[in-house]
Amino acid sequence: MIELIVSLIAITLQTSTPLLLASIGECIVERGGILNLGIEGAMLIGAFTGFIGAYFTKNLLIGLLSSIIGGIIIVLIFGFLVIKMNLDQVISALAINLLSYGICIYFFRMIFSQGSFPYLSELFSPIPIPFLSEIPIIGAILFNQTIFVYIALIIIPILHYLMFKTRYGLSLRAIGENPSIAYRLGINVSEIRYIALIIEGALVGMAGGAICLSMFNVFDTRITAAKGFIAVSIVILGRWNPIGVLGGALLFGFAEALSLWVGTLIIGPISASISQLLSILPYLVTIIALLIGGRKAKGPASLGASFSRE
Amino acid sequence: MSSQIPSFFSNDIVLHVEGIRKVYPNGVIANDNVTLSVFKGEIHAILGENGAGKTTLVNIIAGCIKPDAGEIYVNGKKVNIDNPRTATKLGIGVVHQHFILIPALTVIENIALSLDSGFKLDLNKVREKILQISSLLNLKIDLNARIEELPVGLRQRVEILRVLCQNANILILDEPTSVLTPIEVEEFFRILRNLKEKGCSIILITHKVKEALSISDRITIMRKGKVIKTLTPKETNEEELTLLIIGEKQNSEFISLTEGNNKNKEILLLVNNLNVKGDRGELSVKNVSFSLYSGEILGIAGVAGNGQKELIEALTGLRKPESGTIIIRGENVINKKPKSLIKKGMAYIPEDRIGRGVILTMSIAENAILKIFEENPFSNKTIMNRNSITDYTQKLMKKFGIIAPNPNIEVRALSGGNIQRLIIARELSYNAKILIAENPTAGLDVRATDFTHRMLLDLRSKGMGILLVSADLDELLKLSDRILVMYNGKIMKEFNRNEYDIYKIARLMLGIEV
Ligand SMILES: Nc1ncnc2c1ncn2[C@@H]1O[C@H](COP(=O)(O)OP(=O)(O)O)[C@@H](O)[C@H]1O
Ligand SMILES: [Mg+2]
Repeated sequence: MIELIVSLIAITLQTSTPLLLASIGECIVERGGILNLGIEGAMLIGAFTGFIGAYFTKNLLIGLLSSIIGGIIIVLIFGFLVIKMNLDQVISALAINLLSYGICIYFFRMIFSQGSFPYLSELFSPIPIPFLSEIPIIGAILFNQTIFVYIALIIIPILHYLMFKTRYGLSLRAIGENPSIAYRLGINVSEIRYIALIIEGALVGMAGGAICLSMFNVFDTRITAAKGFIAVSIVILGRWNPIGVLGGALLFGFAEALSLWVGTLIIGPISASISQLLSILPYLVTIIALLIGGRKAKGPASLGASFSRE
Repeated sequence: MSSQIPSFFSNDIVLHVEGIRKVYPNGVIANDNVTLSVFKGEIHAILGENGAGKTTLVNIIAGCIKPDAGEIYVNGKKVNIDNPRTATKLGIGVVHQHFILIPALTVIENIALSLDSGFKLDLNKVREKILQISSLLNLKIDLNARIEELPVGLRQRVEILRVLCQNANILILDEPTSVLTPIEVEEFFRILRNLKEKGCSIILITHKVKEALSISDRITIMRKGKVIKTLTPKETNEEELTLLIIGEKQNSEFISLTEGNNKNKEILLLVNNLNVKGDRGELSVKNVSFSLYSGEILGIAGVAGNGQKELIEALTGLRKPESGTIIIRGENVINKKPKSLIKKGMAYIPEDRIGRGVILTMSIAENAILKIFEENPFSNKTIMNRNSITDYTQKLMKKFGIIAPNPNIEVRALSGGNIQRLIIARELSYNAKILIAENPTAGLDVRATDFTHRMLLDLRSKGMGILLVSADLDELLKLSDRILVMYNGKIMKEFNRNEYDIYKIARLMLGIEV
């Protein structure tokens, strides 16, 4: 029984990680008043560039690095559209998602011939932390994980500090509440928003990388499976707070882990259809949680609003 | 005689502006050869009607807008104030007419936002600095309160503390008293005198003659962008100043309230034990009961944020009350939608003219018929009749003095006063018996305010029942037959016209029992 729980928690940590990375990135950007619904696309690009990088260099770390760069580039294009061009955030995000999808399909077909199934020969393997990983029961859960899980867990307190204990964070929150007042106070609105977007791009790209480089060893345009959109929901449920976001990501990760885990229990002819049915669980949880928890959510006052200096 | 203007090189002049001119892109000459100087440690009032160019001058000194001509000297040195930071560095601190505070952040965070310091946010250091200044001036404030929780008077205090924390010694306050109750004004003046004693020079912008006379050392009068005169309070009086402000001719336009139409008074609106929740789920209107008669103006006094907004929204069907009854002509209309309330004869002049009163991107004509477009001759339920709509609107524009080239102009091109006229015109376009007027003159200039007041009185004499919710106590005293004072969601007391006592009402507005 205990082993069962332990393995469930271990899977939860793994499945939560891409969600956590993406939603913490989205959290910081939304605190600055930008709603980036384009992270689904950015995550896909991160997965793609990560896969390509790792595939051709046979080096997972280079894969990780390229997923980060891919994510940053796509999110910066979004930033250019909404900050520099002052375009509508939702429309820009729509464009970004379509663009990302198009890029992935086009280049994947261009690089790999039809009918070939490129895959990575290895994935990021768990790194046990000396001593700590030997603690009975919990050691194996918490301290024997892939690099992505560690990064995600370390990034939470760092971004919490950035948001609430630095001048940067204060300025960012002020912008999210009212960019024109922030501007009048002498805050460089665009600069602060671009910095937040770069952080988000790195995290979301990494989230895509986590999927390709530590969970599956292949790439497919369906690989992100709306995790970007779930991440946006997590930010709402987590009340735009890194710690709340951690809780939300774990909840969704658990739902996914549960569906995977139950799927392995059932054997026999109906197992396939049952596990298919179960795979809707994370999405169902998203909808229910949003309906229940999202009702009284009040985000930054200017979230999604466009701002120009006039 | 006008007070002599001392030489440029006098050590006593901290700020001197010379020949300032500003023409806005639309051709308005907002400042025309404005010259004035401010002495060290004086309170210098700049007095003028709405539109006289006071705010423009402030914005130029603050570095928010560029003048077309003119020079500014600080402590005898010519300076070029090209952005707000420069003004701050020169020791000029401005409290703008519209506060620049972030409501969701705390007092201390708001102040920290405008103070320079490294990467780490050292709130303790900021707190120390604020406390040092606030204790010096005896300005108490809860530093951990969020701005949105504070009444306007305290928000202003935060603004003052902020500029003082930036080490300002020339303080410019743009219409600071317009948001304050009479008691808060007294407290505010105490703070100003205190600042003056500490060596601060203060420029106080106001359009209230009495205030200028009571607090300032010198008064500069502006009219139509020009400086008319600089005087000391001793050498002048209220009448003279008033004349200087508005210019020579202009007959006394003071409205006096005639006895209401007492015959066949009927109850139009009966509110009983109404409870309404606010946005954050707190009870904002608590057990409110009152009745509104035909032919009267019932005033609701209160500092903004004491439940007036929620009350109005409940009455107009925009917010669902928790409990209670709202009876119009014998029928309980609680939970009725706005459309059926309109059909029952309720009209509404919202404070948020832009957000709630008009649709900016639609034309004057379209806005004018918003509530009657389903009727003949404007449409036959499906197709609109352009010609009759245009004719109708043209007549309205004439009758209500809405100035625009034609009815098809988009409303966003209109000034605030014209928008208000349009809203009033529309609200009277159907046969309403009840009018809910929410701060109907907020932000309007003298003429538009006067027009609105006359309109309300005219409607009253025609037997309409008007609920006038206003933060402007003078307006309420002038227009209402009865006044209810609202504080913290409750009706504290009802005053009949013969019992009006400004101090009693003001104290009740602040929740101080009398
Ligand atoms: N940004 C602007 N663009 C065009 N006209 C303006 C602008 N701001 C103010 N004005 C006009 O300039 C004149 C002076 O305005 P303002 O300085 O605000 O006066 P005050 O503060 O004395 O009421 C008014 O006629 C006003 O309509
Ligand atoms: Mg002004």
